[in-house]
Amino acid sequence: SNAKDAKSTSDEDDSRDIVQQKTQEEILFHEETIDLGGDEFESEGNETVSEDSNNFVDKLNEQMMESVIISDSPNNSEDDTGELGCLQEIVDQMEAKDNQKTQTEVDKEEILSNESETEHEETPKDISEIGTDDQASLKEESIQEAVKEEPMLGNNIPVETKPNNIDESTPEDQVLSPSTTKPSSEAEPIPVCTIFSQANNASSQPQLFLPDGFEPQMVKSPSFSSIIETPVKSNPQVVQPSPSLSKFFGDTVNTNTLASDFFDSFTTSNFISVSNPNASSSVPEQMSSLSNGGDGSSSNPTFPVQNGRPEAGGPPSTLEITQSPKPFSQIQAVFAGSDDPFATALNMSELDRRNDAWIPSEETRNVLISVATQQYSAVFIDKENLTMPGLKFDNIQGDAVKDLMLRFLGEQAAVKRQVLNVNSVEQSFVGLKQLISSKNWRAAVDLCGRLLTAHGQGYKKSGLPASHTTDSLQLWFVRLALLVKLNLFQNAEMEFEPFGNLDQPDLYYEYYPNVYPGRKGSMVPFSMRILHAELPQYLGNPQESLDRLHSMKIICAKILENLEQGLAEDGSMTNITQENRQASVQLWRSRLGRVMYSMANCLLMMKDYVLAVDAYHSVIKYYPHQEPQLLSGIGRIFLQIGDIKTAEKYFQDVEKVTHKLDGLQSQIMVLMNRAFLHLGQNNFAEAHRFFTEILRIDSSNAVANNNAAVCLLYLGKLKDSLRQLEGMVQQDPQHYLHESVLFNLTTMYELESSRSMQKKQALLEAVAIKEGDSFNTQCLKLG
Amino acid sequence: VMRLTKPTLFTNIPVTCEERDLPGNLFNQLMKDDPSTVKGAETLMLGEMLTLPQNFGNIFLGETFSSYISVHNDSSQVVKDILVKADLQTSSQRLNLSASSAAVAELKPDCCIDDVIHHEVKEIGTHILVCAVSYTTQTGEKMYFRKFFKFQVLKPLDVKTKFYNAETDEVFLEAQIQNITTSPMFMEKVSLEPSMMYNVAELNTVDTAGESESTFGARTYLQPMDTRQYLYCLKPKQEFAEKAGVIKGVTVIGKLDIVWKTNLGERGRLQTSQLQRMAPGYGDVRLSLETIPDTVNLEEPFDITCKITNCSERTMDLVLEMCNTNSIHWCGVSGRQLGKLHPSSSLHLALTLLSSVQGLQSVSGLRLTDTFLKRTYEYDDIAQVCVVSSEIKQS
Repeated sequence: SNAKDAKSTSDEDDSRDIVQQKTQEEILFHEETIDLGGDEFESEGNETVSEDSNNFVDKLNEQMMESVIISDSPNNSEDDTGELGCLQEIVDQMEAKDNQKTQTEVDKEEILSNESETEHEETPKDISEIGTDDQASLKEESIQEAVKEEPMLGNNIPVETKPNNIDESTPEDQVLSPSTTKPSSEAEPIPVCTIFSQANNASSQPQLFLPDGFEPQMVKSPSFSSIIETPVKSNPQVVQPSPSLSKFFGDTVNTNTLASDFFDSFTTSNFISVSNPNASSSVPEQMSSLSNGGDGSSSNPTFPVQNGRPEAGGPPSTLEITQSPKPFSQIQAVFAGSDDPFATALNMSELDRRNDAWIPSEETRNVLISVATQQYSAVFIDKENLTMPGLKFDNIQGDAVKDLMLRFLGEQAAVKRQVLNVNSVEQSFVGLKQLISSKNWRAAVDLCGRLLTAHGQGYKKSGLPASHTTDSLQLWFVRLALLVKLNLFQNAEMEFEPFGNLDQPDLYYEYYPNVYPGRKGSMVPFSMRILHAELPQYLGNPQESLDRLHSMKIICAKILENLEQGLAEDGSMTNITQENRQASVQLWRSRLGRVMYSMANCLLMMKDYVLAVDAYHSVIKYYPHQEPQLLSGIGRIFLQIGDIKTAEKYFQDVEKVTHKLDGLQSQIMVLMNRAFLHLGQNNFAEAHRFFTEILRIDSSNAVANNNAAVCLLYLGKLKDSLRQLEGMVQQDPQHYLHESVLFNLTTMYELESSRSMQKKQALLEAVAIKEGDSFNTQCLKLG
Repeated sequence: VMRLTKPTLFTNIPVTCEERDLPGNLFNQLMKDDPSTVKGAETLMLGEMLTLPQNFGNIFLGETFSSYISVHNDSSQVVKDILVKADLQTSSQRLNLSASSAAVAELKPDCCIDDVIHHEVKEIGTHILVCAVSYTTQTGEKMYFRKFFKFQVLKPLDVKTKFYNAETDEVFLEAQIQNITTSPMFMEKVSLEPSMMYNVAELNTVDTAGESESTFGARTYLQPMDTRQYLYCLKPKQEFAEKAGVIKGVTVIGKLDIVWKTNLGERGRLQTSQLQRMAPGYGDVRLSLETIPDTVNLEEPFDITCKITNCSERTMDLVLEMCNTNSIHWCGVSGRQLGKLHPSSSLHLALTLLSSVQGLQSVSGLRLTDTFLKRTYEYDDIAQVCVVSSEIKQS
């Protein structure tokens, strides 16, 4: 573009002249509208057409810009040529492109204004300049079009005929410049503005012939006086959904990249050699040794489960113990208990039964019954009915924060970043909890993986027979839950896949009568079922989520029904004390409530607001203490839809409910709702007042702080808003380095200055000190 | 420059566990510590944290375009006489959106000039926001630069209409409004502003126990691509109804006024152009029914009242003839003189007839002859009447 710039210097004087006039005298020229095309594109360096050629028609070019614009494909918003960068771009990638752009632009302009000290008074010439400029711009447009593959037939034609177009010029222009426009317009035959007519025909015709007898109607803004009868129908496909925040923060982690590499190194790592001497042996071997009866035929589609196996009790138990250092200490306990039949009976505590209860499907139940009844013979089960999980990928460990630091702050700074990793903690549940609570979830996922590997369910073990214990399933739950928390939904789905619908017989305690004698119910934690049910909605399949949640709901309801009828949870005739029954009812009611919660959330995600609101209402039944929060939430849903009146109604209900209980929290809630209501009424000043009021009561309220800052921005107080957010982040980085806050902050940095990079990097440093490896770096928009 | 669409609420992904699970209360504690969750109801996905718009998004006709314009002095020098001008160039006009046109005396380093502009979008198609900044450097150099931001304004609604002309002079308007945006849309108001000739009754609520209930039920919003059907009944005002000639040919019925709201009360408003309908042609003489019983007894006379209106431009002298059909038998004298009828005036006529056949019978067989022009107008199928045998009716 530099070359082009040079070419255009001769023209620039003139058009710059207009610029000068404009700034200095605030221009009386009607050409003001015209010159838009001129230097805008000129500064892009697209000056090509010789000026004299079209002198006489230049006045007519006033609309040229317009026509071009209209012909423009609605998709064009993505051009990033020159200053025409659209807002979107600015918001999205301000630092990336505009930084340089503005830089160059400013420079250029400086040169321009320096040169154009001389005053030009010849308007006609100016106009002619503009005209040519327009043409240049036009060409450029058409090139863009072509690239964009818009099926614009008239692309070339307009370029040719444009100078002759006089129709449609704004009334203002016509009045102001009659002398210039008229002669040429009369002299020249006027070709039709092809673009216009084409666009019209194409878009309006199909509608006209709709068979239902309905006529399409023009819609226009009521206050619009100068009628533009150009129903340029917006192309529906063009509409780009504004991505939700969650999408924005979508996962970018490349999952499978180094899995195999890592696995190799992993097997030779210290951990294995030290604590798990058996890990090097292949799984089938382990299995065969585990099942002791010597079936060992892992390739066989059916697997005999020999219940007699633990009869030879010693070997497998010891094996398992040696195999897994600490996490499986509980198994030890179980085995210790199994020595004494009475102890095992006691082991099956009320609590276990209550928590683990689940109602298997008919098929699974039959398998379980046969396992129970055919104590000493092998039960053959289809491979499909067995759960054979395994790590699907290895090592998602990594620290995005550190990577960014390396990139932007240099190696020295990056070295300072110290987070717990999988090797720096105890290889046990304790270490796992440590990693989780320090927000090093990636490392925690890896640790789960190691512990599962120790359990024979490691990488590439999927599809191979496995035995399940309470602990292995808990580990799976934690791993999968963390993957979901990290927004790594695809990975979670992959690893969830072998578990099927969590109803396979080998996931029930009854399947292992000798390992868990007398114990009944499902090994799958209830929360894992919830997780499993919720997962598809994050992967764009909310319907599947709803299906799963509904079947969970049915089972929860059935269990409650059983309890009410004096039966045990699973419908068996067991004596349960009144007290225990009560506790169980309570537990299962709250679980049912949790299912309803997930359903409501899922419906909300599906944007089925009516049903979502209904679902939240039913959640209130199960969690009455959350009523004010839930009602507020429903109110916010209505606000989001735009139904301010109904939202207000709900907020009033909240005030009624909280009226009875006083206390800080409900007071805040009421103020928060009022603030939101004002937001809905476009009254940012009032909203800000209420958010600030909350801060007076509770100065550490992150939400109010952040929201007040957002309001300030909408009130045009960028600096104040920044000050508030920065203050809050500095004050308590532990809590306020939240991705939403940081996202707002970086957005404002980008708005504030084209040199937002430094400030963002400062944020990165703050993050590096406080946050674990699970931090979502995308909110820093460091690109 | 940043477009100020309404902020959105942050949604979090709840992951919970129970106390007996491996992480204990860890997950729940993490969610409690997360500032974006709702305290006391962490599982609620919809949080309270506002987040700024992440991209330009879509803008639709009738909505208000709001934008933040910030001029920031990145340099280390003080600049003077800063003038910021924001114009919006549409396909037909150029609008100045800047709140103030006065120049700012000086701008220190790292300071900024802020402006929030609002503009109700009134045109479809490309808009270009032109931000022009001029300033003077310390050395007295005049500087000037501009930035351009292009965006497309899309159509939010698809409106289709259909008219039904009732036997009376009423007109029913059916309007289908489709949301062609990508977000749900709360329809705050959809009303028909009638032209001066009509009174309008909205037929979009049902009265149940004194409370008017929307025909759309609890669903107050339109999902993307959803269509809603509104119904209106228009009655000509008395003074126009009298003069039958007035409502003839193409008439302007009125226009639809639509107000909607989207995310956090982002408002939009549109009006349709004047809706026009072709009034049904009645020819020169219009015969309409004023009263007729719905059910009559077999072979028993009943009365109907007709209204005869002269829709032509000339005076008529009318003769009424009544021709019996298979089932309908007119009572009274056929060929009677109705006298002179002036343009746009009408007369009422009571007639008696009986039916000899049971069932739904069509009233036909009236003939009006204008003796001036010797022109005969035939009126068949004027109305239908249910004929039952007298026993049934009594029981």
